[in-house]
Amino acid sequence: MATIKLDIFRFDEATDTIPHRDVVAVDLPETTTVLDALEYAKSEIDGSISFRRSCRSAICGSCSMNIAGTTGLACKTACNTVMDEDGVVKVDPMPNFQPMKDLVVHMDPFWDKYSRLKPYLQPADRDEEHPTERRVSPEDMKKLVDVANCVMCATCYALCPVVSVDPAFAGPAAIAYAYRFIEDVRDDHRKERIAQISEDYLWLCAHCYACSYCPKHVDPNDRIIDVKRAAISDRVMMDERGPRHALVVSRTIKHSGMLEETEVIQGTVGRFNVRGLLKVAPLGMRMAMRGKLPPLFMKPIPKVDEVRQIFETLEVPVS
Amino acid sequence: MSSTTLLPEEAPLPSHARTKSSQTKRYGFFPGCVAKESCKELFNSTMLLADKLGIELIELTAASCCGASVLNDVNRDVARVLNARTYAQAEALGLDDVITICSTCTGHMRAANKELVESEERMTQANAILGKFGARYNGSVTVRHLLWLLIDDIGLDRLSSMVVRPLNGLKVAPFYGCHIIRPESVNGWESARQPHSLEDLITAIGGQPVDYAGKTRCCGFHVQLEKDGIAPAMVGQNMRMAKDNGAEAVITPCPLCHLALDGYQADSAARWGRTDLPTFHLPQLVALALGVPAEKLGLNKHIIDPRDAMVARELIS
Repeated sequence: MATIKLDIFRFDEATDTIPHRDVVAVDLPETTTVLDALEYAKSEIDGSISFRRSCRSAICGSCSMNIAGTTGLACKTACNTVMDEDGVVKVDPMPNFQPMKDLVVHMDPFWDKYSRLKPYLQPADRDEEHPTERRVSPEDMKKLVDVANCVMCATCYALCPVVSVDPAFAGPAAIAYAYRFIEDVRDDHRKERIAQISEDYLWLCAHCYACSYCPKHVDPNDRIIDVKRAAISDRVMMDERGPRHALVVSRTIKHSGMLEETEVIQGTVGRFNVRGLLKVAPLGMRMAMRGKLPPLFMKPIPKVDEVRQIFETLEVPVS
Repeated sequence: MSSTTLLPEEAPLPSHARTKSSQTKRYGFFPGCVAKESCKELFNSTMLLADKLGIELIELTAASCCGASVLNDVNRDVARVLNARTYAQAEALGLDDVITICSTCTGHMRAANKELVESEERMTQANAILGKFGARYNGSVTVRHLLWLLIDDIGLDRLSSMVVRPLNGLKVAPFYGCHIIRPESVNGWESARQPHSLEDLITAIGGQPVDYAGKTRCCGFHVQLEKDGIAPAMVGQNMRMAKDNGAEAVITPCPLCHLALDGYQADSAARWGRTDLPTFHLPQLVALALGVPAEKLGLNKHIIDPRDAMVARELIS
């Protein structure tokens, strides 16, 4: 047995203007899950503590919250793994959401982004090849199974640094779920789906892998890369900066073996996009003043032909 | 001895001439693109530090870019095969270690290596292409960051004993950069959620580590061009936390983070208030503590001048 001190964020949007914290001590085995400790505190000590929960076994996705500074499912987190030396377990509502009551948040922005995907299969009408149902092979299904495990707990969304500065970004879960339909052979709206998620800032993913903490191992980070590749191979919204950036990086590495910083900036923003270039100019000026501008032209690395051969063999797209 | 020539004004003093004894540990060295382009001060301070440590960094001069986390967006195989080519070069030189000085290089080169070593199919694919120009990778290389080398191979105690100019309690906020810790399945050298290697290092060289929630968050470098304002906002958010917790300077093992943190604090001031935290490349601060003269470390190349913070702690006059 151990004394677990739950340090809980308390707030009620109906009555409070600022949040406060309550520390509730419970005597339980230290391997108790954070959710069970909260349940115990609620039933035995303070019935007003509010949090979402249902299945208690990482299937429903309700109990995601910020635990000891990082977000995860309370039902899947043992107290002894997050306790500090004084036995304190700090619990807060998920970041990137408006708090509603204690650990309960307004989930609307998350659901809105999800419903924009039209998250249901949209197959073509029956045709001669498909007189009855559209079938999917086990191999094709394999690609979708991991994403289908998503329980929409919003852990990835809460951890996403891009969401925290730009709420227009679709977020990891929605992009991973877009992948689930984009790569489903039964669906007939692939291009529309890629265009939709591109409009919702697919290319704003910062490659930070914060969503690799997914409690269900959906790995949205890898699915985001898959959707970007789909956008490039299907040539959807190629005038956006994201695909231009990827393709100019590819071109410079094929050319010199190196990522040519100067060329990448021009190729992404647009060589003749004066307004765009002016916006990146202040940083350029600051760097120039310190004599740290990247070279205008890069000398290719030794044996760059080998690099070019790799690109050509793999038919890598470049701009 | 490295095959790369240092800039004349930053070349090591004669008294620092590299040890050439057979005891000298030799490492393959992959500096990455940015250390050769806009952050040359990182490259130079790395070589000066290696010199002080008595290790030999052998630059893989024919290596290509690691893919920079962007090449995966255009093709699923190309970054892996490019990195296999780099590893083949290291193997041909008899080098097992490839040392990086960039978080993004570390993460992506380790990911490529893991895919190659764990999948015969992928290794065969890579070697089929490498074979066209007579190269072959056998899977013997380990990719490690210089930070890991300092802690595992040199050791904090030994490093501490080598300090001649301790940081006098300079309050340094560690900024890890994503790809040296995440995903944990690829890096796994320390906990991605609660890393402490930079803190340990700061302590070993006489500084005071500053804890703050932003230390494992993203600097926004990889989306700086995708939409205006995103990277400065991410920088501002993180630097605000560091500053509020008392930081006087930042240390990062990643030149991409360095470019964002050093470059965008001016832009984030409107929203997050002025932070103006000078940011050091990892080897700069360690080399400084080990006695490399400050003027050799390229500190004049930083947009936010670190010298005021250093004068305040009597590290330079």
